[in-house]
Amino acid sequence: MGLARNGLRRIAAAIADVVQQLKLPKMNFGRPVSTQLKAIAELRWRMFVNGLRSRRGKTEFASRMVVSSVFALGGAGGFLVASFVSYLLVSQGKPEYLALILWPILLFWQFFPVMATALTNNPDSTELLRFPLSYRSYFLVRMAFGLFDPACAIGSLGLLGVWLGVTVAQPLSFVWTAVVLATFGVFNLLLMQMVFAWLERWLAQRRTREIFGLVFILLMLSLQLIGPIVAHLNKASRPEFRRAFEIGSQVQEVLPPGLASDAIAQALHARIVVGLSSLALLAAFGLAAGYLLHLRIRAQFAGESLSETAGRTAVPQIQTPQVGWDLPGFSQAVAAVFEKEMRYLARSGPMLLTLIMPVFMLVVFRMGPLNPIHHSGGLSRTPDMAFPGAAAYALLVLTNLVYNNFGADSGGIQFFYASPVQFRQIVLGKNLAYAAIVVVNTVLAWIAVRYLYGAPHLAVTVATMAGLLFAAPLNFSAGNLLSLYSPKKRDFSAFGRQNATQTTVLASFGMQIVIVGFGVGVFAVARYYNDLWIAVVLFLILAAISISIYVAVLRSMDRLALERRETLLTELCRA
Amino acid sequence: MEIAPTICTQALTRRFGELAAVDGVDLRVAPGQFFGFLGPNGAGKSTTIKMLTGLLAPSSGRIEILGLDLQTHPVEVKRQIGVVPEGMALFGRLTGAEFLSFAGRMYGLDRQTAANRASELLEFMQLADQPRKLVTDYSHGMQKKLAMAAAVIHGPKVLFLDEPFEGVDAIAAGTLKAMLQRMITRGATIFLTSHVLEIVERLCSHVAIIHQGRLVAQGSLEELRAGVQAAGAAGGGLATSPEKLTLEEIFLRVVGGSRPAEQELSWLA
Repeated sequence: MGLARNGLRRIAAAIADVVQQLKLPKMNFGRPVSTQLKAIAELRWRMFVNGLRSRRGKTEFASRMVVSSVFALGGAGGFLVASFVSYLLVSQGKPEYLALILWPILLFWQFFPVMATALTNNPDSTELLRFPLSYRSYFLVRMAFGLFDPACAIGSLGLLGVWLGVTVAQPLSFVWTAVVLATFGVFNLLLMQMVFAWLERWLAQRRTREIFGLVFILLMLSLQLIGPIVAHLNKASRPEFRRAFEIGSQVQEVLPPGLASDAIAQALHARIVVGLSSLALLAAFGLAAGYLLHLRIRAQFAGESLSETAGRTAVPQIQTPQVGWDLPGFSQAVAAVFEKEMRYLARSGPMLLTLIMPVFMLVVFRMGPLNPIHHSGGLSRTPDMAFPGAAAYALLVLTNLVYNNFGADSGGIQFFYASPVQFRQIVLGKNLAYAAIVVVNTVLAWIAVRYLYGAPHLAVTVATMAGLLFAAPLNFSAGNLLSLYSPKKRDFSAFGRQNATQTTVLASFGMQIVIVGFGVGVFAVARYYNDLWIAVVLFLILAAISISIYVAVLRSMDRLALERRETLLTELCRA
Repeated sequence: MEIAPTICTQALTRRFGELAAVDGVDLRVAPGQFFGFLGPNGAGKSTTIKMLTGLLAPSSGRIEILGLDLQTHPVEVKRQIGVVPEGMALFGRLTGAEFLSFAGRMYGLDRQTAANRASELLEFMQLADQPRKLVTDYSHGMQKKLAMAAAVIHGPKVLFLDEPFEGVDAIAAGTLKAMLQRMITRGATIFLTSHVLEIVERLCSHVAIIHQGRLVAQGSLEELRAGVQAAGAAGGGLATSPEKLTLEEIFLRVVGGSRPAEQELSWLA
C-alpha cells in the first residue's frame, strides 16, 4: 500500500514537473511564444516558396504532389475500410471489437516511420535552439513537425474513418467518440515521437548501442519460442487455445487500443463511468508517453551532446598506426571508400536498426499472417514465400542509402571532387558496401526463415539469389544516377528525418514497381510450368542485362559527376 | 629563360547568371612561391580557389597547374596538389586517424604508408590524444588542423588553402606556419587566401588582389609597394614613404576601400 502510495506520489511529482516545464516562461500564449511560432511557420513557408525558384525545387514540388497523392489514396482507403468496419461492428452491437481496427492503426503509426525512413519527414528542430525559444515553444514545434509525418496523416485518417463509422451507426455518440479517438491519436503522436527520441539516444553512443543490440538479440531469441508455442496451441485442445486467446484478449484490453475501444463501447452501452475510467487510463498512457518524450526533449533543449568523445588522456599515448582494410582485387581507393562506408554504417544507430528490420519483420509475421502451412508445391509453402519476401525487403531497406549515396558525406563530397580518384571508383566502393550488406542481410534472413518457418526449397533459395543478382544492380544503377541528380544532405545519427528528396522517393517507388513486376512475372512463369529452376534461368538472363546496365551507368559516373558538380556541392555542403 | 609557372590561369572567368564572380583573371604563380590571394568579401577569392582545385567549373578560360591543363588532366593534377577548401571537406563520422588513413589511400598511398603518415600527422598536429573522438566532435580549430593534415598526407607539390588560419588558436597557428614554411623551403608552392593581412604579410612572398571579380594587383610585396607609390606619385604625392606601407595600407589603396561613415544604431546598447 505504502509502495503504491509512493509510486503515485512520484508519478504526480513527475506530471507536476512536466506541467511546470511547459509553463515556462509564461502560462498564457503571450506574444513571445506566438510570435516565435508564427516566425517558424513563416520561415518554413518562405523556404518552400524560395525552393520553387529553381528547377530542382519545382521538380521536387511536383514529386511531392505525386507522392502525397499516393499517400492520400492509401489514407482514403484506410479511411473507407475503417469507417465501414466500425459501422458494421457498432451496428451489430459489438463495439468492443473496435480494437481490431485500432491495433492496426497503432502498429502502422509506429512501425511505418521505421520501415520507410525515406518517407519520414521530421525537420531538425535542434537548429532552432540558438534562438531564445522557450521550452514550451520548442516542445510545440517538435509536435507540430510530427504532425506532418505521413504515418501521422494516414493514421489520423484511419481514426477519422472509425469516428465516421461509429457516428453513422450511433449518431448520439459522436462527441464522446471524437474525444476518445482524439486522445488515442494524441497518444500515438506522442508515442511515435517518444520512441524516435529514445532510439536516437540509445543508438547514439557505442556503449548504449551495444546494450540495445544485446537486448534486441535477446528479444529475437525469445521470440523464437513463439513458433513452438503457436504450434503447440494449434495442436492443443480447444479449451487450452481458448484460454490463451482469452489471456491475450485481457492483456490487450488494458493497452491503449483496447482502452479506446472499451471507452467507446462502454459509453454506447450507457456505462459512462466505466467508459470514463478507460478514457482516463488511455489519457494516462498518453501522459506517460508525453513525460518520457519530455525527458528527451528537455535534455536536447538543455544542450545535450551525444558525442562519443572519450576523455582526454593525461599522457599522450603512442598509437599503433591503424592499417586500413584490404579489398582483394580492388584498388586502394575503392577499398578505402568501402571501409569508410562500413564505418559510417556501423556508427549509425538508425541505419543499423533499419538494416535489421527484415529479420525483425520475419519474426513479426511469424506471429501473425505467415503461420507455416506446408504443402507440396514450390512457393505454396510458407518458407518458400518468406525467404524471397525477406530478401526483397533486405534490398528495399537499403533504398535510403543507395538512392542518396552521397547524402551522409555532407562536406566530405568536396574531398571526393578534390581527390585524384575517378568517381566511378568512389561509387563502386559505396555499391560494394551496400552489396555486402544485402548479402549479409539475405543470409541472416535465410537463417531466420530456416528456424522460424522451416528451410525453403533449394530451387527457391537459388532463384531468390538470382533474383537479387538482377534486382540489386538495377537498384544500384538507378540509385547512382539519382544520387547525382537529386542529392539531399542527411544526418546518419538522426532518426525520423527525411532522408531523400521527394523526386528520389518517387523514382525509387517506380523502380521497385518495375523490379517487383519482373519478379512476379518470372515466378508466375515458373509456377505455370511447375518448375522453379525456370525462374533461376530467367533471373540469370535478367541479371546479365541488369549488370550490363550497371556497368554502363558506372562508366558514365565520371562525366555525370562533373556535370552535376555544382548541384552536389551546393546541396551537400550547405550549413 | 623564364621558369614555367606552377599555377597559371588565362582569362579565367566564372559567371553565375548575369554576375561575373571572376572576370578574366590571369594568374601566374612561380614554383616555390608562398602566394597570398587577397580581396574583400565577395570579391571572388573562394570562387577562384574552387576553380583552381577542380571544385567548380570555369565558364571560360584556362587553368594550368604544374604545366598540366586542369580540364584535360584532372586526375594527374589532383594527385600532385593538396586542398583545404572553405568547408574543410571532412568526413564527420570517422575518427581523425581513420580519416587521414582514408585520405592517404585516396591519394594513392598504400595502406601501411597511409597509416604511418596518419599517425605521424596526428602527433604533429597534437590531435593524437583522443583517438576515439569522431571528427564531427572536434572543435573548429581541430578540424582545421585535421583538414590541413589530410591535404599534405601525400606530400603535394602545390597546396591550396582557403582561410587556413580561421578559428585556429595561436599555438596551432604557429605549428601550421612552421610546417608551411618548411614545405616552401623544400620546394613546394603554396596558394592561400586569408582575411588576416598580417599573416599574409609575414608568410607570403607574393600577393595578388582581386576586387569585384577582377585581378587588380599581382606581384611581390615590394613590387606592390612600388606600384602603389607610383600610382600615388602620379595622383599628386604620397603621404607615406613606400618602405613603411603595410600590406593593409596597400590593400586599402588598391581596392579603394575606406571606412564607412560612422552610423548610429539608436536601438543598440
